[in-house]
Parts: sequence; structure tokens; C-alpha cells
Amino acid sequence: MQLSSFTWKLLKILDQVDQVRCGVMDESALERYFDDSIANDSAFILGEELGLQSPAPLLHDSTPSVQNSSFLSTKSERSSELGDELDLSFLPDDLSTQEEPSQDDTAGSQTSVLDMSQDSGIGVNFTSQDSAAAEPRQEASVSGLRTIVSPFCPMTPMTPMTPMTPVTERSGIIPQLQNIVSTVNLGCPLDLKFIALQARNAEYNPKRFAAVIMRIREPRTTALIFSSGKMVCTGAKSEEQSRLAARKYARVVQKLGFPARFLDFKIQNMVASCDVCFPIRLEGLVLTHQQFSSYEPELFPGLIYRMVKPRIVLLIFVSGKVVLTGAKERAEIYEAFENIYPILKGFRKQ
Amino acid sequence: MFRSGLTCPGCGSSNIVDDDLYSQAQLVCTDCGSVVSEGTLADDPVGGSGVQRLKALCQILRVNAEIEDQSEKYYKEAYQHESFINVTLQKKEILAGCCLLVSCRMRNWPITMGTISCLLDADFNVVGATYKEMMKILNIKAPIVNVTDVMEAHSQEYKMSSYPEELAENSKDLTRRAVALVELAADSWIVTGRKPIPIMMAAVYLGWQSLKPNQHRLRMSLEKFCQLAQVKKCRAAMTRIAEMKEMLCKLGKELPWLRGAVTPDNVIPQVDDILQNRHALLRRAMRAHEDTLQAECQTSSADPPTEQTAPSQITEHVDQTPSASSVEQCEPNPERAEPPADKEANLHTAPEQSDAQESPDPAPNWGKRVLFAPPCVVHPKKRRAAQPELQDVNGDEEISDSEIDSYLRTPREVRDFALTQKMLSDEGKS
Repeated sequence: MQLSSFTWKLLKILDQVDQVRCGVMDESALERYFDDSIANDSAFILGEELGLQSPAPLLHDSTPSVQNSSFLSTKSERSSELGDELDLSFLPDDLSTQEEPSQDDTAGSQTSVLDMSQDSGIGVNFTSQDSAAAEPRQEASVSGLRTIVSPFCPMTPMTPMTPMTPVTERSGIIPQLQNIVSTVNLGCPLDLKFIALQARNAEYNPKRFAAVIMRIREPRTTALIFSSGKMVCTGAKSEEQSRLAARKYARVVQKLGFPARFLDFKIQNMVASCDVCFPIRLEGLVLTHQQFSSYEPELFPGLIYRMVKPRIVLLIFVSGKVVLTGAKERAEIYEAFENIYPILKGFRKQ
Repeated sequence: MFRSGLTCPGCGSSNIVDDDLYSQAQLVCTDCGSVVSEGTLADDPVGGSGVQRLKALCQILRVNAEIEDQSEKYYKEAYQHESFINVTLQKKEILAGCCLLVSCRMRNWPITMGTISCLLDADFNVVGATYKEMMKILNIKAPIVNVTDVMEAHSQEYKMSSYPEELAENSKDLTRRAVALVELAADSWIVTGRKPIPIMMAAVYLGWQSLKPNQHRLRMSLEKFCQLAQVKKCRAAMTRIAEMKEMLCKLGKELPWLRGAVTPDNVIPQVDDILQNRHALLRRAMRAHEDTLQAECQTSSADPPTEQTAPSQITEHVDQTPSASSVEQCEPNPERAEPPADKEANLHTAPEQSDAQESPDPAPNWGKRVLFAPPCVVHPKKRRAAQPELQDVNGDEEISDSEIDSYLRTPREVRDFALTQKMLSDEGKS
């Protein structure tokens, strides 16, 4: 039977993949998982729905060959494989090279990691199987920034969304990034007056603030450019956008005649928000989590929760809206939210 | 008395003493004579020293000795910290007030920040900022203020006892009634996240009206009431009153012996009955609400769910609290459309939905589908529509020259701009 041969093939591959430190699953669980998937029809249409729900559009290079970075980037091929026969060619020949994705690919793989977890997030809602089991994949994906995530990438339509080991119920909610703050060093001193004069999109008021405030339309961001050559870029909605925006500002400065470079680009802060869609008893939460929470309704309507691991500050409001800030990496936000969600849910039932 | 931990900015010596000889409190370096800190000129009739002010506050609020001692301790500790050592006298007073505030909280005798800022005649925001800074410096955690705990102290401020019978109310009855109303408000999400004083004011006002719902009381506006009670009215209390009336109507509707609609205008005379039977009324209201939801689910079962094939397991939306909101999932039937609340949750949290997909028609927010929900959910602020976001950016794209050029001024523009600037600055000078 086609399915069981696939099972065996994948199991062998997974032996190798295990070395890549997914760390969450074991073989017997895998077999259980596949047995479950065989029993359940919905797995087959999942791939289709995944294609529909894919949040990120296809990457420009959508050829099935995966020579580059992580095999997660082959998410794009998912749609080509919908409902078709199983094609394992997506798996790279040498899996051990996937261990440490290169620096440049980190953003890419992180996106892919993220996208996958997004998929699984959405998938949870579709499957009639135990959604509770969807946890470990997201966990795996968010906890290990540099490791390849679950081998059960949604690349084949056969891949059911339910993972192997049932864990605590996952939220299925993904926080949306709202703001990214990054810094970069242009590497040369700048004449702010000159920049303010020559650039249309710049404002400079030395009495008020010692930097030029520059704005570009796409990505819609604002930059503070200092005379030392250092620059802060704010307002982007993703790490890549922030980087692109910073490069554009650098290019503007370059065009004005300065020998600007692009050194030490670093994301300093990420802010995200989401909505759990149920009201939260903040008074109760501050009682049970006193050491992390601060709730002063006279001063601020939200509860300020300072999570220790990861080191994120969450603003939790009675409406169920949550703001997460203080992250340097996207995964920290997701991890923080997955940590807080069961706590908030626990509150709901009380 | 030597002040430890301070160094003179003039000579670096640590021999600083309190100099209370004159009307102003001063810290003076005994080695070089420079004044390390001093209060502002004594406008304050009560006294210069912060500790004196603290003692005065304690007396006004009639706190016990424990609280007084604790607050003195905190004050002395915070006062020596660099953030507070050189501030104005007023700030020191505010600091004293904050120390008192935190001590009261810790000893289970809570007062509000509003009270403190009233007593000190200080800006509420400054008090708040000072409080936060002080908490950070002292590194302590104080339990939150429960509105019902503060209610008693607050309602005693309302001087309603010395009026003719139609208007008079003794403090005890008033407090009891107001506390019951506040508890009910807390259950229906009116209290969480809000400032306590407007809620308490609304509770006292409605409580007062409901104790003797005669024409005099019912016709009296909040403004007039506050004048009578010799209390300063706060504007937010008006919205709280409206919210509480709405909540009372939802419960009052379930009173079986009533005929006709229960509206915010005629609900006050029913408050007595509502409070007496609040648990039963709550149960009835929740059941009635569930029935309506069920009926709606039935009618919407024809709705083909395009995004989902199976019921979501995200949340059951069942609130077990005997009090507040409850949205129950439509009765188990896997093919039916899910409660819009779930659908909406899925839609809204599906990340970066590209426009290519089935467009999420903004589903009615979950607040409108439950019996009680926080008002900020039921009446959400209008948000600016999200900009169509840049998709599929990898950060390393080519940047077109034309785009960058669009951000640069042409030489002519530069000339014009420089000229205009010069003209404007000359104008300014002349």
C-alpha cells in the first residue's frame, strides 16, 4: 500500500533527521502518528487547504530542487504537490548539512520556521484530529532558532497536521508583528544640516533633537540619523522589511555623497500583538502570578507581565488583547505567547 | 545628625548634616559649608520636612501606628536614594504620600492614588510617576487595591446624612448598597482595567438613588448629587453609570413579575429586587442568552464554512464562572458553522492573509455575542485600516535608483529651500 511504503521511507530518513536535533519525537510515536493519519481522511485534503491558507506567497524560485539553505524553504513546493503522489525529492541529499544554517539564511529559515508554525497554527483548526497534539511542532519550531524544525514539513499532502506526541493544547493564535526597531552603523560621520537640506523626506531640528528624522514610503518606516553615522530604523513590520528600509536610508545617504556603509545591522526590539478573544480577570492573574505581574488600574489599564524566559514584557488587557515587546528575535515572541496562553486560558475557566 | 551615604558635590566629603535651624530643611556639608540640598522656599505652611508631612498625612487618614512606622521607614529609605535626594519639596511630599500609600496597601488598609493626590493637592500623573519610581527603588511589591475594600473609605466621604429624609442616607446603608453594586459591576467586566474612583462614585450615586427611588432622587443629576455630598465630581463616572444601568437592565429583564420593558430610565426602582435575587437572575439571563445563541446557530447552519472543515478546538468559549460572560459552542454538530466568535478568531489571527484569499468580512466581534463583556470589546475603537503590507520581502532586494532619487531634492529645490529658510530666519530676527 502506498501509504505504508511512504511510512517506511520517511522513517528511515527520519533516523537521519533525528540527528538534526528535532528532539521532540520518537519512532514509536511516529508510527502511531502515521497509523492515525491513515485512519483519517482529512489528512488528504489538508494539503489543499494548506495551499489555500498559505500566508506567505510562493517564493520566486519555486522549482522543486532545493539546493539552497534549509529544506523548509521548499514550502513553496507544497502547492505543486497537492494531492499528487508522494514525491520525496524535496528532501535534500545530505541532511546533515542542514544543522547550522548560514548567517544569511537565518532570516530566511526563521521565516520558514515561522511560516511552518503558521501553517500548523491554521492546520490545527482544520483537522478533526486531536489538535492538542499540534503543540510540539510549534514548540520545536520556536524553541530552536537554528535547528531545522519538524521533519513533518507540510510539503507533502500526506503530512497530517497532527504531530506525534500529544502535548498541551496549543493556542492556534499567532502574534502579529507591529513594529521592529533596528540599528545600523553607516560607518562615517555625517553632516546633518547638509542632509536635511538635500533630502526631501528629512527633518532636522537641532534644538529639539540631535538627529535627522527621515522617512520613506516603502517600507513605511522612520529613521533617526545621527551625526556619528549611526542610524535607528523604526516602523517596519518584519525583520526583512526593516533591513530593506535601513538599506534604503543608507542608499539615500550614499547618494548625498557620504561614504556610507552598512555595518552591524541589528534588530534591537520587536513588538507584536494578538487577541485571545476572551476577557481576562486581571485581578486574579496578578494574584497568582505576583512575582511577574504588575497591575495598577489607576495608572494603566493593562497588566504588565515580565516574563523571565524568554525575557519579554507582555501587556495584557481585559479585552484579551496582548502586546508583546522586548524581543530580539521572532521566536521569542512566539514562545512568550505560547507560555502565556495556557495561563490566560486557565483564568477564563475560573 | 549625620546623613550617611551622601557626598558633598563641592568637596566630596561625606560629612553631611541636617540643618533644621532655619525654616527650610537643608543638608549642609560640614567641611566646606556648601548646601547639598534644600527645599524650595517655604510656601508650605505645614512644615518643611518630609517626615513631618508624612506624619500629618497619617493623622488625616487616621492610619494605625504600624502603617505610620512602615511608611516612615520607606520614606527614609527612598529619600536617601539619588533620584529623590535633590528634588523639590513638593516632590518629597509626594514621595511621602506614596510611601504611605504602599504601606497602607501592604497592611491591608488600602487607599487610592486619587485620594493621595487630592490630599497633597498634586497632579495625579506626577504622583503616579513618583509611585512607580519609588517602587522600583525600594524593590517591593504591593498587593493590588480591591475596589470593594476601598469602597467603604470612599463612601464615607459622601456627606448625605444631614438632609431631609427624601435625600438623606446614612453612611452604613449607602456603603452596603454601593459595595453590592460594585461587586455586580465587577462580575460584568465593568471594573477590571478601569480607574476605581469613577466606578465608586457611580456605585454610590446609583446606590443612593435605589435606596429610596422617589422622584427627588431619580431626577437628581450626578452633578447635583456631588454638590450635595460635597464631593468633587469626575466625568468618567457618567459613563460608568450608563454601563452599570445597562448591566442592571440585562438582569432586571429577567425579573418574572415585571411587565413591560426594562430600560435605563426605569431600572433604578428595581435595583433592590435585582440585588436580592442577583444569582438567580444571572442564571436566567445566561440561559436566555444561550437559547438565543442556539436559535441563531440553527438559522446559520446553512452557511457553508469555506475556511474550516472541522470545529475549531481553540476555545470552547465556555465560561464557568457563575457570574460573567458565556458563549457556548453551538451544540455538537460537526458540520455546522462554528460560532462566529471562533471563526472571527481564526480569521483575525491568520497571519498576513494575502488579498488573494477569501476576504474575511469582519465578523461581529465576540463581545457582541456574549452576555457580559468588557465595554472596550463591545464598543471597540475604530482603528485605521491596516495598510496593505509589503509581502515577500527578503531584505536583500535591489533598490532602484529612481526610488532613491525621488527622496532627494533637485538643485533648484535646494536653492529655493535655502533661500526661504534664510528669509524666514531674517524675518524672525528683525
